[in-house]
Amino acid sequence: MAQFYKRLPRFQYLLPKTIEEALSFLKEHKAAARLFAGGTDLIPQLKKREVDIPRCLVDLKGIPGLDSIAYDEEAGLKIGPLATINAIKDCPYVRDHYPSLLQAASSMASPQVRNRGTFAGNICSAVPSADSAPALLALEASVRLLGQKGAREVPMDKFFTGPRKTVLETDEMLLEIRVPRPKPGSRNVYLKLSPRHSMDLAIVGVAVVATCEDGICKDIKIALGAVAPTPIRVPAAERILEGKRITPEIIEEVSQNVAAQCSPIDDHRASLEYRRDMVYILARRALNNVLTK
Amino acid sequence: MKEYTVIGQRVPRIDGRQKVMGQAKYAADYSLPGMLFCKVARLPVAHAKILNVDTSKAERLPGVKAVVTAKDFNGWTWGFMANTRDEPPLAMDKVRYYMEAVAAVAAIDEDAAEEACDLIKVDYEELPSVFDPEDAIREGAPVVHDYRPNNVSVEYHWNFGDVEKSFAESYLVREDRFRTSRATKGYLEPPASLAWYDPAGYITVWAAKQSPYFHYRHLAACFGLPLSKIRVIQPFIGGGFGGTKNDSVAGDFCAVMLSKMTGKPVKFVYTQEEELTISKRRHSMIVYNKMGMSKDGLITAIQSRVIADGGGYTAVSPLTMYLTGCCTPLPYKLPNYKYDCYRAFTNNPICAAMRGHGVTHTRFACEIQMEMMAEELGIDPVEIRMQNAIDNPKPGEIYRTINDMTLKTCGIKEAIQTLVRDPLWAQKDKAPKQDGSVSYGVGMSATSYLGGARQLGHQSCAAIVRICEDGTVNLITGATDCGQGSDTVLAMIAAEELGVRYQDIDFKMVDSAYTPVDPGSYGSRVTVLAGQAVQTAAADAKKQLLDILGREWKVSPEEIEIRNAEVYHRSNPSRRIPFDKLAKIACYSGSGAVIIGKGYSGYGIEPLGFENGRGNAGTSFSFTAQTTRAGVDMETGHVTISDFVIAHDCGRPLNPIGAESQNEGGAVQGMGQAIYEDFIMDRGKTLNPTFLDYKMPRSTDVPDIKVIDIITDDPDGPFGAKEASEGSHVSAPPSVVAAIHDATGIWFKEQPVTAEKIVAALKEKGKWPGKQ
Repeated sequence: MAQFYKRLPRFQYLLPKTIEEALSFLKEHKAAARLFAGGTDLIPQLKKREVDIPRCLVDLKGIPGLDSIAYDEEAGLKIGPLATINAIKDCPYVRDHYPSLLQAASSMASPQVRNRGTFAGNICSAVPSADSAPALLALEASVRLLGQKGAREVPMDKFFTGPRKTVLETDEMLLEIRVPRPKPGSRNVYLKLSPRHSMDLAIVGVAVVATCEDGICKDIKIALGAVAPTPIRVPAAERILEGKRITPEIIEEVSQNVAAQCSPIDDHRASLEYRRDMVYILARRALNNVLTK
Repeated sequence: MKEYTVIGQRVPRIDGRQKVMGQAKYAADYSLPGMLFCKVARLPVAHAKILNVDTSKAERLPGVKAVVTAKDFNGWTWGFMANTRDEPPLAMDKVRYYMEAVAAVAAIDEDAAEEACDLIKVDYEELPSVFDPEDAIREGAPVVHDYRPNNVSVEYHWNFGDVEKSFAESYLVREDRFRTSRATKGYLEPPASLAWYDPAGYITVWAAKQSPYFHYRHLAACFGLPLSKIRVIQPFIGGGFGGTKNDSVAGDFCAVMLSKMTGKPVKFVYTQEEELTISKRRHSMIVYNKMGMSKDGLITAIQSRVIADGGGYTAVSPLTMYLTGCCTPLPYKLPNYKYDCYRAFTNNPICAAMRGHGVTHTRFACEIQMEMMAEELGIDPVEIRMQNAIDNPKPGEIYRTINDMTLKTCGIKEAIQTLVRDPLWAQKDKAPKQDGSVSYGVGMSATSYLGGARQLGHQSCAAIVRICEDGTVNLITGATDCGQGSDTVLAMIAAEELGVRYQDIDFKMVDSAYTPVDPGSYGSRVTVLAGQAVQTAAADAKKQLLDILGREWKVSPEEIEIRNAEVYHRSNPSRRIPFDKLAKIACYSGSGAVIIGKGYSGYGIEPLGFENGRGNAGTSFSFTAQTTRAGVDMETGHVTISDFVIAHDCGRPLNPIGAESQNEGGAVQGMGQAIYEDFIMDRGKTLNPTFLDYKMPRSTDVPDIKVIDIITDDPDGPFGAKEASEGSHVSAPPSVVAAIHDATGIWFKEQPVTAEKIVAALKEKGKWPGKQ
């Protein structure tokens, strides 16, 4: 018999005090354990029985120091797994160097959810419409993962493997998001389209990072959210623009190419055709924003 | 004119403090010792014959105390009219919509109740189904109810004047197809009740109902008990808006039955997802509208053929379809009118009443079509309205519509003229029309809504005013405030009439063991009808008090006045006592008098003329004119509504804060229906049963709203009042759609006008600036 949103299923609640302890829990329970940070995605998923019911939740909030956000000129930005969405939104380094991350964080959910939900969790949930993902992809961020086999660094464009799927092994946790320092003179932007003015899901998200020198486009990165099984980069479109003189014609051509590269679904949130049209519109706006203003 | 001391004051809500402090208790907040939790088991099929319901595994689950299925109700069904009682508490022979209830469980906690529902096994045979209302009423469609083999659940065919002759003589005739959205109420509090079946044969429920006395009758009928043994206690209500909370739901009957079976109190609370999937929603209607006009833009005739998607059962829809038709001759003069409606049974969720009940569909169609025709004739939106609008009848005179509705006041012309002077309209051509990709437009609408509605038969509405010996007052009515602020207004009326201060009135919420029977909150009837009952009851109490004081002072009672809790002799005002002194004198007189004023509403209207559409649907009618400024992003279709100006004739606003907020709320809800809200359906299944995907306006979508009161002082309302909670809900959608037209040059005939629909229309017209 079908029901609706249910009560939380029963699970064991674990509260490790150190990263090592958290990893040992993951080693012990493997796929039967789920990491628990903000819980703003996980708890509703459990109530809706959308995911396998875990034997235990490993709450990371007992481990000190995981909510840090650090920045230096060499390494760029380092975001700890418990840094909240609002912490990113309010971070002066983000404001000064990564407007696209600020735009993504500000446009996500409601103030209450932003206070609770983590930026890293938005990545790990791996929903195609995650607002943080296109910006991180375009900024060429990477994630540092730690597991039984040790640490590894995975570039963002290798992280997502499908809707709600990532390369994270069952015994691994995300330790840090690393966002390189933007190249001097480069600009970045994230544009989101949703039906309402705030507190809404993206129908289309477009992030662009680019440098423009003497009217020539150098170093362009374009990423899309909500229009493919995972957030994606569009290298074919980037190659058209790389090293070229910026003209309205080339921006038009690239925007059309970006729209052709995406593979949106047709669902109750928007039709395939509308999403594709809006990728074109938003790509054009984002390119004009970073290259011509 | 008499100066009021309480009426017209901007007083805080009588329940405001409790609500703000979190002290107000709603149905879900109540509990009793030993209480069990009820969950309803539902079948995820839109149309199926039930072969067998096996509850044995569920019954054996630890913690489960009882399971109820359809057979426990012995075939009992309920409905709005004697011949439409087609809805059972639990599905009997078949389910007619997706997730219809088939069983319910009572267990010691919610977890066990949920788990038990999963263990109930239903054998069923899926039946051919029908989801489109036009398909449903075609020959050969799958039959939803055997008693209506053509799937027409309600139909009316009314004819006033001669539309055919009039169309033939008209200069311009237009026919269009309009459609309204599958909207819902969106209240925060889903259906909930705590039920206790006393084995001695009494039922007590704490139920979230905006019409507790409908539920009271349903329970008596379902359980075969006299009304004297049914006690419905009304908690605070977290929003109503018509439909579900006027009615009973499966959980209501199951909780009582499970309490009867177990001897324990039983509580149910629907989840919001459950509410959005199965609760009664607004009808989506297809309106084929035909309008005739003279060369000068005078409306000569309207013919409306309406096909409504009714879903699986009838519910209150005979009234819905009545209201959809009867109000078309307002607010413009209409000499010829024909209405044919068909409400189709389909395998969609049940559709019923919602704010702006019925009127919103046809008024949207008529308002937009009138503007389209005015555009063709080169007549401006103000002129077309002013020359067709009904004049305000002179005092003592009555305006009669072609279907015999009567108006004593009508502020529509004044409302339109007020808007014309307002800067939003007056300076619309000076404001920028284009900014980057955004085009701006301003639209207008003029509409009407009934107040003081009645349904069928018995419509008693009474009030009791009890004077306490310290000069405070208990106000006892059968009225229910589901959030609109009516408790506040009724307390103000009692205070004004009695001559005491607003804060001296204590309002008692419905408890059917003690309060008078009343139809509750629907059809904007509480202020108008319960208000008159309260006014009469307060006058009665005042008379009793003054009779006693007259004897004491040895003067005629008529010579004494009470104002602001001061009692004084009219011609010798220095002879005065405070009201509490008077109360004490009165209550202590003789062996102790009991001062109780009684009153009931006297100006109820005749029962509705369902067959011919003639007569009044309400005691009086409000009139609303609205302007909207909208910005449309011509690339994305994204709409930003920046301003609403609402000129509303509610007769007289008794509590200006309340009237304002009702106008604002109604308009914002109407705006949601106009541009965002729609249930997306797939073969009877609702694909967006959450507030994430059912897009109601957020606070950041809401425009600046200015409300201007048009005072007409209706002789049939307490202190001149008419309705103030549904008018702006009807005026918002046509005004928003007219603004979008002004911005884009395109008329949209289907709600909601989403960004995606705008882009599709712009592409079709070659106006989309993107690649083609």
